[in-house]
Amino acid sequence: MDDWTPSSLIKPFGARKKRSWYLTWKYKLTNQRALRRFCQTGAVLFLLVTVIVNIKLILDTRRAISEANGDWEPEQDYDETLGRLEPSRRRGSGPRRVLDVEVYSSRSKVYVAVDGTTVLEDEAREQGRGIHVIVLNQATGHVMAKRVFDTYSPHEDEAMVLFLNMVAPGRVLICTVKDEGSFHLKDTAKALLRSLGSQAGPALGWRDTWAFVGRKGGPVLGEKHSKSPALSSWGDPVLLKTDVPLSSAEEAECHWADTELNRRRRRFCSKVEGYGSVCSCKDPTPIEFSPDPLPDNKVLNVPVAVIAGNRPNYLYRMLRSLLSAQGVSPQMITVFIDGYYEEPMDVVALFGLRGIQHTPISIKNARVSQHYKASLTATFNLFPEARFAVVLEEDLDIAVDFFSFLSQSIHLLEEDDSLYCISAWNDQGYEHTAEDPALLYRVETMPGLGWVLRKSLYKEELEPKWPTPEKLWDWDMWMRMPEQRRGRECIIPDVSRSYHFGIVGLNMNGYFHEAYFKKHKFNTVPGVQLRNVDSLKKEAYEAEIHRLLSEAEVLDHSKNPCEDSFLPDTEGHTYVAFIRMEKDDDFITWTQLAKCLHIWDLDVRGNHRGLWRLFWKKNHFLVVGVPASPYSVKKPPSITPIFLEPPPKEEGAPGAAEQT
Amino acid sequence: MSRINKNVILAVLTLTSSAFLLFQLYYYKHYLSAKNGAGVSKSKGSRIGFDSTQWRAVKKFIMLTSSQNVPVFLIDPLILELINKDFEQVKNTSHGSTSECKFFCVPRDFTAFALRYHLWKNEEGWFRIAENMGFQCLKIESRDPRLDGIDSLFGTEIPLHYICRLASHAIHVVVFHERSGNYLWHGHLRLKGPVDRKFVPFRKLQFGRYPGAFDRPELQQITVDGLEVLIPKDPMHFLEEIPHSRFIECRYKEARAFFQQYLDDNTAEAMAFRKSAKELLQLAARTLQKLGVRFWLSSGTCLGWYRQCNIIPYSKDVDLGIFVQDYKSDIISAFQDVGLPLKHKFGKVEDSLELSFQGKDDVKLDIFFFYEETDHMWNGGTQAKTGKKFKYLFPKFTLCWTEFVDMKIHVPCETIDYIEANYGKTWKIPVKTWDWKRSPPNVRPNGVWPISEWDEVIQLY
Repeated sequence: MDDWTPSSLIKPFGARKKRSWYLTWKYKLTNQRALRRFCQTGAVLFLLVTVIVNIKLILDTRRAISEANGDWEPEQDYDETLGRLEPSRRRGSGPRRVLDVEVYSSRSKVYVAVDGTTVLEDEAREQGRGIHVIVLNQATGHVMAKRVFDTYSPHEDEAMVLFLNMVAPGRVLICTVKDEGSFHLKDTAKALLRSLGSQAGPALGWRDTWAFVGRKGGPVLGEKHSKSPALSSWGDPVLLKTDVPLSSAEEAECHWADTELNRRRRRFCSKVEGYGSVCSCKDPTPIEFSPDPLPDNKVLNVPVAVIAGNRPNYLYRMLRSLLSAQGVSPQMITVFIDGYYEEPMDVVALFGLRGIQHTPISIKNARVSQHYKASLTATFNLFPEARFAVVLEEDLDIAVDFFSFLSQSIHLLEEDDSLYCISAWNDQGYEHTAEDPALLYRVETMPGLGWVLRKSLYKEELEPKWPTPEKLWDWDMWMRMPEQRRGRECIIPDVSRSYHFGIVGLNMNGYFHEAYFKKHKFNTVPGVQLRNVDSLKKEAYEAEIHRLLSEAEVLDHSKNPCEDSFLPDTEGHTYVAFIRMEKDDDFITWTQLAKCLHIWDLDVRGNHRGLWRLFWKKNHFLVVGVPASPYSVKKPPSITPIFLEPPPKEEGAPGAAEQT
Repeated sequence: MSRINKNVILAVLTLTSSAFLLFQLYYYKHYLSAKNGAGVSKSKGSRIGFDSTQWRAVKKFIMLTSSQNVPVFLIDPLILELINKDFEQVKNTSHGSTSECKFFCVPRDFTAFALRYHLWKNEEGWFRIAENMGFQCLKIESRDPRLDGIDSLFGTEIPLHYICRLASHAIHVVVFHERSGNYLWHGHLRLKGPVDRKFVPFRKLQFGRYPGAFDRPELQQITVDGLEVLIPKDPMHFLEEIPHSRFIECRYKEARAFFQQYLDDNTAEAMAFRKSAKELLQLAARTLQKLGVRFWLSSGTCLGWYRQCNIIPYSKDVDLGIFVQDYKSDIISAFQDVGLPLKHKFGKVEDSLELSFQGKDDVKLDIFFFYEETDHMWNGGTQAKTGKKFKYLFPKFTLCWTEFVDMKIHVPCETIDYIEANYGKTWKIPVKTWDWKRSPPNVRPNGVWPISEWDEVIQLY
């Protein structure tokens, strides 16, 4: 355009005129010279205007662009995020479609490296014995699961079979043995290894070393094995190096309908393994549950904090039961993960919930305690309107009427200052000692394991003096201390609304779980109507206890309370027994009685002013500590309180006695 | 020959250039209208009606939000202003009776809605449905500031803004989050990463230049231009809040660093003082809010907020600032009514006014009144024994919201200048002995009260 301008400005258009018909016609009409001049000026003006408009346009566009860019500058963080993402992308879509995998098996060390990156390394002493299994995504090479099965010990091979069966076909499986992995490797497990194509696996012998790489349902990609020469020695270390060809991303994925839910499922299933049918291509288990809403739900807007560590399978089970409970509102749930772990976060994302990671501050118990504090503070920050919070842990099953139970009882926390919490867990509620899902108790101990915390209690009392990291305290032990509890009590149900299934944990092991948690009663009846909730208020409860004691039949105190015949073979009666309890903290006889009853005996739980309430042989059974309990007045003068001697020697009590 | 050619060239030139010009004019107009809805509407003049892009975009958006249960309400300042002007009439208009599109057809680039995030249940599917309806949407997320106060938590990012474009009009959805202190907060609209910077003229957005804080408004449903929308019950109040809504977050990271260096005082006395100071501050805030008096954290309380996001346990009092033009004579009686008797009163409204109230547990509430000069602000001090006057100079400042001890409260936006004026460059180092007559770097002697005035300007109780 601009190039044209100068040519239009060429001034003199000479004197010669009559040539073209056009000009002739023009000249005939008017004065030629004047018209020509007019045309010329017009053209020049036109061109000038065009140029101006053009320049204006350019300037305008420039300004608009710079305006839009102005203050809205990109953030630097972004580059960092991008940087982190890059390597994984490169691996997924790069030209090289082969992974090189190294697997090492020996007596004291195992490691697995994928493309030079160590994904497993275990050379700790006295740990990690057995068969280590790693699952890789066949399209990306990402580690999807990492497990160790101590098949030297019984039943671990069953867990391994369960796990290997859950792995989707086509995945890359890596197995390696550390120390010993054959002693309790039974036939089913060996058959499974054979079906995977392994030669040495089914024949694995005492202290053999073994490394295996294969595709589930596909070819074996490499295997090495070294037999132990003698009973007292180990096989030679083996190092297996093999190439694993990657398949295309499409092959690795299922063809689920394209919905928002399935998008979440796909993201989850391409990253992790070991969650069973949630990732099955045909007919996967639902990840949305839509349980019935609760009519008049008083806890609909109460935030739920799920305290979690790095036990993603537990978390998965827990969230399933939580999201299936009637009256749950998923947007009120926040999962707090103690540590920068990815897999629990993936589980949270699978269910479309909010997850928050907490970088570890201190060690062990203090760490759990700091995690609790951060989680509770965050919960009340995220839901500033909330007056309560429900606190759950990742190793709990949640009863179907959990929220219904809370909805019916939560007003007590508001109306009764003498309450500390509402808990879904009855420490003494075992299969044989709990009966009535509609019955509630008041207890002086704080059971935890699914409980409701009042915001004012947390903000005004607990948060300001929460144990600092250098005090290596358990948060729940601290909360049970008299300085914190200040004589207040918790409401609990007779039949627990939560079930503690965790057997791996800080204070937990298989034996301990079997002894104290496995036989716990757990309510499975939906929509239980709680009985006489207002009678749980301070004064009303005293009246209720007095009424109960008045109508209770006094048991034969000459009999041994550890004998089954101590209680008559009736049903639906109320019985009372009096035991010796000299002071408020004298629990000698109670502890012995609890042992006999096979209930929690590691410390005192479930008492209310020297009174314990439970069921025995379908009868309501009351135990009163005399003379410490104010209910001692109900003791007939003729009755001598039962005294049980503690065993002379301290038996080796199993480990710690807490249930965090 | 050449002559004729020249004439022909001239004619051709003229034709092309006019064609060019026409094309350019057309393009220019088109460009203008795309950039600014005003272009089209203005040129159409009287044809403003229900076919405008603005109205159609808003209508579609309202259809979307009501079908998807997205809890939004209208906060567009331009439209709220118009609605507020003939509020009575709008309120009485029933569904069918609108004949003219008066509000939503007004030429503008954006229509702003607020989204009450805590009521939102189906966040996931919404985006896709919006896109299916023809909206092009942009989502701006960020980390949750409510977790910043807590050590080392990393959460799922929360949405802060959605901008949904339909033809030349865009709907700006400002996500309002609930915060401790009974208020709503919205985030800063910051473009991260590969975002189309020309998606909409971001400059012209009414919300998002800064984070903002608002009182939680009561809402009401009205019918505007045939569309049912929720608006704040008191649009006037909401409109007044907008220009002063800028919010600044406490500097939690720096506060943590401070506590790593100097350790927090967790003794029983410190905790007791913090508790009473917090209660006093909350009581004072409630009382002043009821009177409609603007105030901000000053002196030691402001330093505590800025440096450690908490009350300084050895500060012994709570300090507030008030512009003297906001002074109301019933401040003293209002404080007395809530159980805070006047302890002393120095100065007078015209000069160096300072009030002190006695709180519970020996915690004092000091209120300093600030006087504005052309290039600075100042507040006065008086020594009771000698009648000496002092002046504390501050650079000019404006007020921002922040969150402190579970309250939405004002602080000077230019906090660092304010604090450095008062405590010098070394404000980061805790000092336990502070002489208010000598220590502050901004203190100036200001003469002596004439003895005749002492009775008025030095009142001790």
